Amino acid sequence: MQDLVSVVTLGSVYLLFALGMSLTWGTIDILNFAHGSIFMFSAFSASLVLERTTLGLLPVLLIGAAVGALMSLLIQVVAFEQIIKRARDRRTAEMQILIGGIGVAIIPLAIAQHHTQSNPFGLSASSFSVESISLGGLRITNVAALTVLLAVALWAAAALWLRRSRQGLALRSIGVDAQTAALMGVDRRRLALVTMAVAGATAGLSGILFTFSLGAMTPESGDTLLVKAFACIVLGGVGSMLGVAFGAYALAAAEVLILTQTNGSWVEAVSFGLIFLVLLVRPAGVFGRKEVRRT
Amino acid sequence: MSTAAAHTDRVDAPGAAPVLELRDVAVHFGGVKAVDGVTLTLEPGRIHGIIGPNGSGKSTLIAAITRLTRLTRGELLLDGKPIDDVAPSRLAGLGVARTFQTVRLLPDLTVRANVQIGADARAAAAGQRRTRRGWRDRLRGGGTSPAVVEAMRRTRLEGFEDFYPAEMSYGTQRRVEIARAIAMQPRLLLLDEPTAGMNQTERAEISALLQSMRSAGLCQLLVEHDVQMMIDTCDHVFAMNSGRLIAEGAPREVVQDPRVQEAYLGRRWREHARGQ
Amino acid sequence: MSGFLSTNLVLVQSTLSGLLLALSIQVPLRMGVFSFAGAGSYGIGAYGAGILVLRYEYGALPAIALTVVATAVVGLLLGLLINRLAGLYLAMATVAFDLIISVVAINGGELTGASTGLYGIIADFTTAQMVVLTLVALALVALSERGRLGRRVETVREDPELAASMGISVRRYRLAAFVASGALGGLAGAMNVLVRSTVGPLDIGFGLIVLALTMIVVGGSRSWVGAVIGAVIFTWLPDLLAVIGEWQELVYGVIVAVAAIYLPRGIHGVLADGVRWVQRKRRDRRAAAAGVVEEDEDGGVRPPEGEDLTGEGGVPLPARAGPDPAHALDQLAARPQAGS
Repeated sequence: MQDLVSVVTLGSVYLLFALGMSLTWGTIDILNFAHGSIFMFSAFSASLVLERTTLGLLPVLLIGAAVGALMSLLIQVVAFEQIIKRARDRRTAEMQILIGGIGVAIIPLAIAQHHTQSNPFGLSASSFSVESISLGGLRITNVAALTVLLAVALWAAAALWLRRSRQGLALRSIGVDAQTAALMGVDRRRLALVTMAVAGATAGLSGILFTFSLGAMTPESGDTLLVKAFACIVLGGVGSMLGVAFGAYALAAAEVLILTQTNGSWVEAVSFGLIFLVLLVRPAGVFGRKEVRRT
Repeated sequence: MSTAAAHTDRVDAPGAAPVLELRDVAVHFGGVKAVDGVTLTLEPGRIHGIIGPNGSGKSTLIAAITRLTRLTRGELLLDGKPIDDVAPSRLAGLGVARTFQTVRLLPDLTVRANVQIGADARAAAAGQRRTRRGWRDRLRGGGTSPAVVEAMRRTRLEGFEDFYPAEMSYGTQRRVEIARAIAMQPRLLLLDEPTAGMNQTERAEISALLQSMRSAGLCQLLVEHDVQMMIDTCDHVFAMNSGRLIAEGAPREVVQDPRVQEAYLGRRWREHARGQ
Repeated sequence: MSGFLSTNLVLVQSTLSGLLLALSIQVPLRMGVFSFAGAGSYGIGAYGAGILVLRYEYGALPAIALTVVATAVVGLLLGLLINRLAGLYLAMATVAFDLIISVVAINGGELTGASTGLYGIIADFTTAQMVVLTLVALALVALSERGRLGRRVETVREDPELAASMGISVRRYRLAAFVASGALGGLAGAMNVLVRSTVGPLDIGFGLIVLALTMIVVGGSRSWVGAVIGAVIFTWLPDLLAVIGEWQELVYGVIVAVAAIYLPRGIHGVLADGVRWVQRKRRDRRAAAAGVVEEDEDGGVRPPEGEDLTGEGGVPLPARAGPDPAHALDQLAARPQAGS
């Protein structure tokens, strides 16, 4: 039973992180490889603020979300919009965005590594303290409970939001160009900026929660999560909100299973193996719609 | 032996065996019958045309012949041999060349190199058959092969050799496309709207070019929207509507066929015209 | 020269293995195959050669030969497996492949030295041999950019459908890309482990992919020249940037980001554009000297021509009036050309 709690907690961490990536990839065709960097740097920024003042949980979360949203917007304007403007077609744009994201991600990583000398940093200076609570015989930390609540709430909100702005989605999926879409009253640029900001904010939130629950984060933490989030998304199916939730909890379940059955060193292979297997066996993912997947 | 001579020794006698035969060819996409039971024959030394309104199945038919689309039913015979399960990439070696609806030149190669790709295809096919010519071409490597010089002469591209596609007008780029196909020294040339976006003068140029290649014995299949151009260029026209052949024969007769006029213009217009 | 070599031996060796690693990702990229499998092959190559020398007492060259063959075969098998994937999906599947290799290395127990890796891999491998092997591999890659093969590779990348209509088996080229990538990555890893005498799981992780990618992004993805530029810059830059001191990581990041966004074809792309510009100027000057070049309405330049192609005064559709167009065309063509 306690394992189930682990699955739900870990799955919620993955969901919260993968949510933003899934959102941008599924709607505006941006697979943002700087997402891990945003995640890390939001928590890092919060730790810098906490060096000067003592804050409670809510302000720290807000700082994380704000830094994440700002970084995401900045990257969209400075990098991705420029790449899309210059790219010959969508296929090259996709690749350039992947590479550009990896390139941009180096900068916040370098700043954080420089400041921390690549040592782990934490948020222990916050007035908020992690405590274990007991729910019907099951132990769960207050941070883990908050992570689960936030992940599910934000996921539901994002799914609703996507359904409401369906017109923009429909336009995108039939490949209408920006000009035509603008004529039809859809401001694609604004839609993209909003999506990126929301994605960045969730990355920031998950960075804060992740740091609280593990006690510390290293500047490199984002990279591994990035690949795991990708596994969640392809497992569920690109563009499917139900899919990313399924992917996150399924990956968590598989990892917890491996962790309890073996000595644990194979855990990392689960997500990588899953990516491989899903792409080979069911490339559209479990909940994927066929038309969303392009080769 | 010049390449011009190589061209002429491919001339087949009139009434010779057909180059391409389609027997009851059908291509269905789910419930949509894009092509539905087309039987036709293409002969050497003639320019064949396909006309028909948008969505009548012309492009799907080309895709079926070039093996980019799987047949739902029917047979494709090239020189009497079935090609239903031949890979698309092997068709070039069998003497089938094509141009595309849109200009598809490689932006980072010069005109000469772009046309050379066609000659490469020919040389590669010859090399597989281990002819002396294939080895000679291979040894020559980067040089311009005679087929390229000949193709550029025919398409009037001399002087453009070192230009890049982006530096040329649209009509000239289309000529490069055709030159690339000619450099393959094909037996069958499929032209998918070669004059789309061209002005009258450029169209006349292309028409003249196709006719000069007919006199060299090449079998051609032309898809075009410009009916006047088809009348002026083709020897034999097939009219399609809703995936079926509705008429074929001499261009003027086909164009005047009531079924064809109806397909293009609709029944009411035709009745209206008759009433006047 | 020999003084330079001995003081900078480590950097020279790193440049060579970095170059081959960059090529192992650039070669598939040049064929439109977005595969990072080269980094995984590097891992297999490094561990493979290390294990052969350390545990089975192979000589350096036999160990290298065996691992290169093995990584080429692994590349082929991987290619057969994931050939039908494209774009981002292929990219991520190969990233997963690379990371699985590093997890296997950690879990290899005695054989791979687990999380500490392999130490003390001493073999009879000289820098001269490394230089020769690298040059041979580089020459083979350079050959694939020339002549018929070069044009065909270009076609496969830019337009697979066009390639098929030009008699090119796209599938075969893509598989060849996987094999070449495997062999190059394997060679890079094997040679590097033999000159470094050590390899660990951290050497073959996600960072290796980023390193190879940055070399290509900054150097240029279209030519071996780009890989050379990238390998030289990113091996020597940290030393040069020591002047900037503590902020070198940041400068490094900014360079990569700027190149990725604004120079999609890298430094080599800029150089190639420059060369093309000079060629064009020279060509236009020659034509201008001949005095017959005119501008099209749309800005395109027309070469010298005898007269209007349609024959006499531009008859709209030649079949309806005027001389036999085919005849006219041949006559025109037979006329000697001015200026060419």
